[in-house]
Amino acid sequence: MILLAFHNLFQNKTRLVISVGGVALALLLILSLDAIFAGVEHQITAYIDNSGADIFVAQKDVRNMHMAASAIPASIIDQVKAIEGVEIVTPILYVSNMVVTGDKRNLAYIIGLTENSPIGGVWNLASGRGQPGKSETIIDRSIAEMSDVELGDTVEILGQRFTVVGFSNETANIVNSIAFISLDDFQALRGSPDVVSFLLIKTHSGLSADAVAALLESKIDGVTALSRTAFSSQERRVVKDMSTDVITIMNLIGFLIGLAVMALMVYTAILSRRKEFGVLKALGARNGQLYQVVLAQAFMSVVLGFGLGVVFVLLLSGIIPRLGLPLSLEIRPISLLKVGGTSLIIAALSAILPIRQISGFDPAMVFRGT
Amino acid sequence: MTDTTLNVDHVTKRYGSSSTEVTAVKDVSLSVKPGEIVLIMGPSGSGKTTLLSMLGALLKPTEGEIHLNGTIISALSEKHLPDIRLKQFGFIFQDFNLLSALTALENVSIVAELAGMKGVAARKKSAELLADLGLAGRLNFLPEKLSGGEKQRVAIARALINNPTLILADEPTANLDSKIGHEIMRLLRQIAKEQNRSVVIVSHDQRIKDIADHVLWLEDGQFKEIVSMAIDPVCGMSVEREKAFHLSLNGMDYYFCAKGCRDEFAADAEKYQQTNEASF
Repeated sequence: MILLAFHNLFQNKTRLVISVGGVALALLLILSLDAIFAGVEHQITAYIDNSGADIFVAQKDVRNMHMAASAIPASIIDQVKAIEGVEIVTPILYVSNMVVTGDKRNLAYIIGLTENSPIGGVWNLASGRGQPGKSETIIDRSIAEMSDVELGDTVEILGQRFTVVGFSNETANIVNSIAFISLDDFQALRGSPDVVSFLLIKTHSGLSADAVAALLESKIDGVTALSRTAFSSQERRVVKDMSTDVITIMNLIGFLIGLAVMALMVYTAILSRRKEFGVLKALGARNGQLYQVVLAQAFMSVVLGFGLGVVFVLLLSGIIPRLGLPLSLEIRPISLLKVGGTSLIIAALSAILPIRQISGFDPAMVFRGT
Repeated sequence: MTDTTLNVDHVTKRYGSSSTEVTAVKDVSLSVKPGEIVLIMGPSGSGKTTLLSMLGALLKPTEGEIHLNGTIISALSEKHLPDIRLKQFGFIFQDFNLLSALTALENVSIVAELAGMKGVAARKKSAELLADLGLAGRLNFLPEKLSGGEKQRVAIARALINNPTLILADEPTANLDSKIGHEIMRLLRQIAKEQNRSVVIVSHDQRIKDIADHVLWLEDGQFKEIVSMAIDPVCGMSVEREKAFHLSLNGMDYYFCAKGCRDEFAADAEKYQQTNEASF
């Protein structure tokens, strides 16, 4: 019966292309959304992951950067330096704001860096300088390209003009980008020279970042200290929580499209062979054996659709970076498992209606010429 | 083992109820012996299809019983019928009803597999059967690539694959030209006689009378007249036994279309007996 399902599926090439293509596109929607959000999750923590810091110290109960504000007194820097295991302490100022280029406004994390900061600065320089001086900034290369900004041009950040002296890579995502200015400029613009946002700490090698972070929290009041891994994880969780509803809705849409396409194709495929199923019934095939044909046909379609969907998303993940878009698609095994599972559910559901039809077929119709 | 393959005992089929009730088949009785060919003829709407569906266990009679090899199949529950249809019946349809996506070989072997035969064995047996029917060179052809006669041969192979005791044929020559139709009917007769299988044919085709042992006329759901047919051993014509010229010789009955044929036979009976045995 599996052979019959196979032949039935491949006999009508047009129907095969439509059903497999339709399922592939629907699954592509789910897969690419997952891949985009996986990429965004990865990109959104790019600064934290590449900062070079082992520990992030923030205002008490602040555990991430995205959509958060942290203010800690600069005066605690010496206290932090005195904690056992701390090798380097670098303060940064941070705010979520805009990089304005002409009439374009690009959402950005604005990072204020101390002069010659060993950690927390640009980690992948595309061109120019990586350390901003007074009234200077380093912005993301793809943002600059999209806004036709070149080295030496000026952009507006926090209401002040800054000269672009460098372009960075890996500092833009679908949500925003990162712009680096000097800590002095940032403090001057904020008018609060004694306050910083975060302290970035490098520990002595061989020490556990979590242990040093715990020590920091116990010795210094009013701060939360997290290892880079924990801080990054918190950041991803926040983004994930914010995007879960969107992903769920889009996944549901993809699922429904896939289901509708498959259900329609399996239904019409069975309907077009109504008489042949009647003949098989008349010859002695049991309903269960005929259901196997329908299910096998549906499962083969979705397996092919799933394979095609994966190929599509792999192609997309290769093409998108070449287009210079601040987007990366990350295909995770868990996504493949999820979409694979979704495909199987689609196949099973799409077979229900045809199975109900077949169970009602009257085998005597073969003698009636219907 | 019973002496009749099929025994239809006062079968009636009614559709609808009260004012909308229609009686499609009325109190029909019939028996078919092993190796016997019964042709059921009749006008459209006479109940032929309903009767054939009941004989094939595709429809249950309202009244009466249908016995197949001693089993009352009309009383069997729905769950037992697929097995009966698969193993006891061979169906041959007017428009062949081959599965369009499967090759000739697969069309036959799938029925063997439905009956529980393993794939390789089913394909081997199907290939042998198709080869016996002259289709050795067409095993891997899709139905659309076969001629009408070839399709009907595939359908016959499919009907025979599970060694049925009864073959039910619905207008088997309707979509075939006269030459091919005649070949198909000779083939069915050969199968019936050589393999001792019973055959019930429903048809409008008068030519099928030539190969039938009994011809039944169904009209308004009832058999109007049962005519026993025989083949004139001299000229080969199909003749109605009751109206034919008759001769009993050595305990055998012979029927002839004309006195001349009877006289000719009587003059050299041995010659015609040999010829008669060689035909069909």
